[in-house]
Amino acid sequence: MYSQKIEALLEKVQKAPRYTGGEMNTIIKPWEEADLHFAFCFPDTYEVAMSHLGMKILYGAINLQPRQLCERVCMPWVDMMPLMKEENIPLFSLESRRPLKDFDVVGFTLQYEMSYTNILAMLDMGGIPLTRAERSDKDPIVVAGGPCAFNPEPLADFIDAFMVGDGEEQIIELNQVISDWKKSGESRDALYRELTRVQGVYVPALYDVTYNEDGTLASMKPNCPEAPEKVLKAIIKDLDEAYYPTEIPVPYTEIIHDRIMLEIMRGCTRGCRFCQAGMLYRPVRERSLEHLVELAQKLESATGYEEISLSSLSSGDYTCLAELIRELLKRLNEKHVSISLPSLRLDSVLKESLEATQKERKTSLTFAPEAGTQRLRDVINKGVTEEDLIEKVSDAFQGGWSSVKLYFMMGLPTETTEDLDGIADLARKVVDAYFAVPKGQRAKGLRVTCSASVFVPKPFTPFQWEPQDTRDMVREKQQHLREVLKIKGVNFNYHESDLSLMEACFARGDRRLGQVLRKAYEKGCMLDGWTEHFKYDKWLEAFEESGLDPAFYAYRRREKDELLPWDVIDCGVTKAFLWREKEKADRAEVTKDCRKGCNGCGLQRYKGVCKLCE
Amino acid sequence: MMAVFEKGERLRHIGHLDIQRAMQRALRRSGMPVKYSQGFNPHILVTFASALSTGAWGKKELMDVTLREDVAPETFLQAMNAALPPDMQLSFCRTLEDQHPALMAQVAAADYTMTLTDDDAARKCAESVEGFLAQETIMEMRKTKSGLKECDIRPLIHHLAVEGNQIHAVLTLRETTSCKPDMLVRALCRFAGCEVPRFLTVRNGLLGENAQGELTALETL
Repeated sequence: MYSQKIEALLEKVQKAPRYTGGEMNTIIKPWEEADLHFAFCFPDTYEVAMSHLGMKILYGAINLQPRQLCERVCMPWVDMMPLMKEENIPLFSLESRRPLKDFDVVGFTLQYEMSYTNILAMLDMGGIPLTRAERSDKDPIVVAGGPCAFNPEPLADFIDAFMVGDGEEQIIELNQVISDWKKSGESRDALYRELTRVQGVYVPALYDVTYNEDGTLASMKPNCPEAPEKVLKAIIKDLDEAYYPTEIPVPYTEIIHDRIMLEIMRGCTRGCRFCQAGMLYRPVRERSLEHLVELAQKLESATGYEEISLSSLSSGDYTCLAELIRELLKRLNEKHVSISLPSLRLDSVLKESLEATQKERKTSLTFAPEAGTQRLRDVINKGVTEEDLIEKVSDAFQGGWSSVKLYFMMGLPTETTEDLDGIADLARKVVDAYFAVPKGQRAKGLRVTCSASVFVPKPFTPFQWEPQDTRDMVREKQQHLREVLKIKGVNFNYHESDLSLMEACFARGDRRLGQVLRKAYEKGCMLDGWTEHFKYDKWLEAFEESGLDPAFYAYRRREKDELLPWDVIDCGVTKAFLWREKEKADRAEVTKDCRKGCNGCGLQRYKGVCKLCE
Repeated sequence: MMAVFEKGERLRHIGHLDIQRAMQRALRRSGMPVKYSQGFNPHILVTFASALSTGAWGKKELMDVTLREDVAPETFLQAMNAALPPDMQLSFCRTLEDQHPALMAQVAAADYTMTLTDDDAARKCAESVEGFLAQETIMEMRKTKSGLKECDIRPLIHHLAVEGNQIHAVLTLRETTSCKPDMLVRALCRFAGCEVPRFLTVRNGLLGENAQGELTALETL
């Protein structure tokens, strides 16, 4: 009924294809034939949403169920929102253009803390009361999953149930429980208790939280017998057995990652101490080569994409990477499909596979040394040496690349000026490596881009107890880096520190941040991840009016025995292991890759989960 | 292979470049023996008869696909329709001889329907058609690369009728000169003395000239 009104609006907005739907391979199921209607909400724009692999997996998985239906909903851009408001058009799904409130379950994916205000905006535009307390039995059940669901507390006021861990099977089970509950006609409280039966589901209403006078957590206890003391994440043991979509939607308009994403493995064995994903997605699980080749061919013929990217946290570590690439090139060569490896680890790039991917167009190569000196790389357990980097970069320059991106973090624990100067030294050595290749043999136009982001300590990492650098410290360091990185052929990029401060607050925040979030939203904060829309002053006001201090969340060092808001979640890795790692970091001591032997991270507690520690 | 496809109502806001890319991907999905260009970034050899503006719905858009080997038109049609979304289906295909002129050069005019959302304006337009066409010249602004330019659209209007809230028109569409539907609607509304209402443009088909110089559906030439 809104479709004609929506059509009229689309003539007035900048990028209408964001809202049209109807892409190849989208699924429009008859509404009445489903018992359960799931709105997959991505709290960012269409271009970001459609670049996200998780959404494609879950969209396909839910729609595969005969009695379940899933449609996509994205955050509208700033030109569309006021028009929708004016015309009284509620936030709608891309498929059937139904308002959000018509769905039984509204599910958000939590990829980034600074998208939280978008969740409130989307609920609001969708005609759904923001908080659990304000919603009635007629309103949809609001759920959320994804990496940020591992510290669910800042969103506890707004979300009925969090899905922690691998979602493929969990989401189907959750939908089934909700579907059964709908038929039963029982209360929402009954559903809450039922949902605890689903692996990895955390229901915030079932936990009571108390605080100490200093603001730290005093206790967090279940208030009913069904709720577990700790919620263990859902784990898919065998990826070859798990669902993987082949008929993925192909957008008309260009999106950020406009290509096939082939997830070759999940998890990472490296144990970088700053990396949350590396801890959350344990254990490492590989898809078999045969399965991947089959999937790649199906994906290519179902999408017509010209490019496949081999996706994982550390694709270079895939056991038969060279063989996989050769096999894919063999099968896809005549179709002119290029193969890209987005997260190349510099100590595992095989020269051979590098050359193999080159048959098609050359783009820039990305390396992530993360820190400028060996000492600091040891602190963060980034097992990469300068020699490794220079060797791989030289290989790349010889292989015809001329553009290299280097990613660094500033504000890492124990960082000194020497470590910052190390970044410049490294950049200079990369430039030298380029000029060491004879003129006739190297590609023209050297471009070395150094990016330095501000370190944000994350839950479930050995640095979860560490303070973040203050804004003043960050500014000083940025200024210093700007000076020392004035090198010919080198560009320096850095990130907004205010945004990183807010990210740090919400990453390790507690339940009280719910009111800050709501206040910030009411003050107009939205699309905070887009620098031009980030309103730092409004956020500070929201903190102040809530009687809370960002410094408490971002700049404070936690004690070893402090109860942390995310202690209610069991991500597989134990707090004891993380603390051991933190102590080793303080001594700049490295921990070996767990492919080389078990480090006892905690997964060994669960039988048949980690193949490496058995 | 010449193919007639639709750019459906739902896709009217998709730009020409995006439609082209979508078609290229559909050609890849179809498994048809398409030919790729030589060079560093090989692309499928396909040309479109005419770019359709963003915002318009196209019922019979034409393209020419170069194939490596002969394929029966029915086979091509079926394979493509299986590979295309519901809003972009093919309705007709024909094998073109090698010496067939380029579709782009053949296009002479296009058949349009503009649906006005304001009944009052539509009524005024209907009453004014006769007088409008009786004018010797109709000057209207057109957008060119070098800015706005005034031109006489009267000789570019081959047919014009208003029925209910719909304007039917056949307008010149050549590489050198053309009258866009919005130019016609603007001129007609100005003549009728009404504001230009919101309207939806449908391009019903493309026309070329037959041996006798008469406008004929392009896909039949």
